Amino acid sequence: MSPVLLELRGLEVNYGGIRAVKGIDLEVREGELVCLIGANGAGKSTTLRAICGLLAPRAGSVRYSGADTAGVPMHELPRKGLVMVPEGRGIFAQLTVEENLFMGAFTRSDIGIAQDLEHQYETFPRLKERRTQTAGTLSGGEQQMLAIGRALMARPRLLLLDEPSMGLAPRLVAKIFEIVREIAAEGVTILLVEQNARLALEVASRGYVMESGEITLADVSAALLANPKVREAYLGEGAG
Amino acid sequence: MVNGLTLGAVYAIVALGYTMVYGIIQLINFAHGELVMIGAMVAFTVINLLAAAGMPPLAVVLIGTACAIPVCMLVGYAMERLAYRPLRQAPRLAPLITAIGVSIILQHLAMLVWSRNVMAFPQIIPLTSYSFLGAIVTGVQLTIVGLCFAMMAGLALLVYRTRLGTAMRATAQNPQVARLMGVDVNRVIAATFIIGAALGAVAGVMFGTYYGVAQYTMGSVLGLKAFAAAVLGGIGNVPGAMVGGLVLGVVEALGAGYIGELTDLCRYGLGPEARCADGGHFVLFGSNYQDVFAFVVLILVLVFRPSGLLGERVGDRA
Repeated sequence: MSPVLLELRGLEVNYGGIRAVKGIDLEVREGELVCLIGANGAGKSTTLRAICGLLAPRAGSVRYSGADTAGVPMHELPRKGLVMVPEGRGIFAQLTVEENLFMGAFTRSDIGIAQDLEHQYETFPRLKERRTQTAGTLSGGEQQMLAIGRALMARPRLLLLDEPSMGLAPRLVAKIFEIVREIAAEGVTILLVEQNARLALEVASRGYVMESGEITLADVSAALLANPKVREAYLGEGAG
Repeated sequence: MVNGLTLGAVYAIVALGYTMVYGIIQLINFAHGELVMIGAMVAFTVINLLAAAGMPPLAVVLIGTACAIPVCMLVGYAMERLAYRPLRQAPRLAPLITAIGVSIILQHLAMLVWSRNVMAFPQIIPLTSYSFLGAIVTGVQLTIVGLCFAMMAGLALLVYRTRLGTAMRATAQNPQVARLMGVDVNRVIAATFIIGAALGAVAGVMFGTYYGVAQYTMGSVLGLKAFAAAVLGGIGNVPGAMVGGLVLGVVEALGAGYIGELTDLCRYGLGPEARCADGGHFVLFGSNYQDVFAFVVLILVLVFRPSGLLGERVGDRA
């Protein structure tokens, strides 16, 4: 088995005055695509925010690449390959598409940046067409692609994806998941947070189910897809 | 008009300091005018010392400016670090009030250091004037306008063409996501203050040289006018501050030049006869009302176009 890249132990996080994450354990191994599914407000996004340093854990630990991230300034994490695509995309609306992509490579100073930019344009031809437009003029789907492309510009080892399908038309959702699969195939480790449980479990090899701040199920995707409780609660099927 | 352009160019440089800081942390740094004053005071001190030693004028002014810039950068950094950074998460009113406090503190520190007296600029620059398209232009004016435009061009390059500039604009739009991209937001904010302070220092030297005097209170009115210029152009907007400053300078100079003539009641046959006889004048508002124009412009902008001339056209569909 490949080594553990991300490890959460007894993680507790407060968000908006409530205990949104109540002591969870989770691990992601190098090269895996793992998903974290659950209903709205289950604490999935809060978990991701704690991993990338946007929120400080109340208790427990986040270990990335063998080291505890407590006390590491948040802006140091992308340099170490821990990169997040935030919920709601978080693009810089008044910067051009290309400037947004360059911001993704902010921590890098190697000569591979131009080459990576071309690579993103190959993956997302729409972004190339619109490279000089301000990002705020893009459609929702294009913005999501920009947000993913920007994160890839950092050459991540671990990519955190927060609800990439949110607010998108079904056709675009399918496209985004296809891209997520391609990124994983290129060797990037991914932790995917999704409300769309079926799609998430179809691309991921393993999944965690989160409910009111706790992890209630953890298994390989096929088993979760077959689990009657999951089918009933998250895949929209009747118990019978 | 030439006078207006010269003043306007200086206002523009000072306004840039306001607008850059506002753009990035939504704080109107009322102490920015004090930075300009400190720049002028430091430079004048050095200039007076060196001029007494009989050095060539150009070298004297350059060395004076070179001393003022690092001092202002340091004060600007200290201001951000000690006064504003601890209040980063506080409601917006708190840093605003702090800014006014910092302004008062700096002004009085300057008074203690340099006393209340006006410091004069030694008469070392020979007055040369040129005739240009029917206007009389002095060498000092030409230098000031040229330098200001060079600085504006330099700043525009920095903001729109460099990594730091892109990081500044990204931080201005969304500091949290900028952090996720690995930007050390505190460093970017400090850099913004330092750049604004350096511009302010040069503006202070130019303003002082132009009027020939510097005093510990010079920062407040100049600061307020530059603030008006920033608002006129659209606060937070870098090209806006440049345009706003130039427009304000010209309005002020033309206004001061013509207000006497326009409010001369004798022209309209309204003045008392004893005064108007033999082409006499009865002027309601003289050119000493110069300072009013900036604030009239500020009020008009706030009433009719609060987002400024080049106000944010927000293309945010997300």
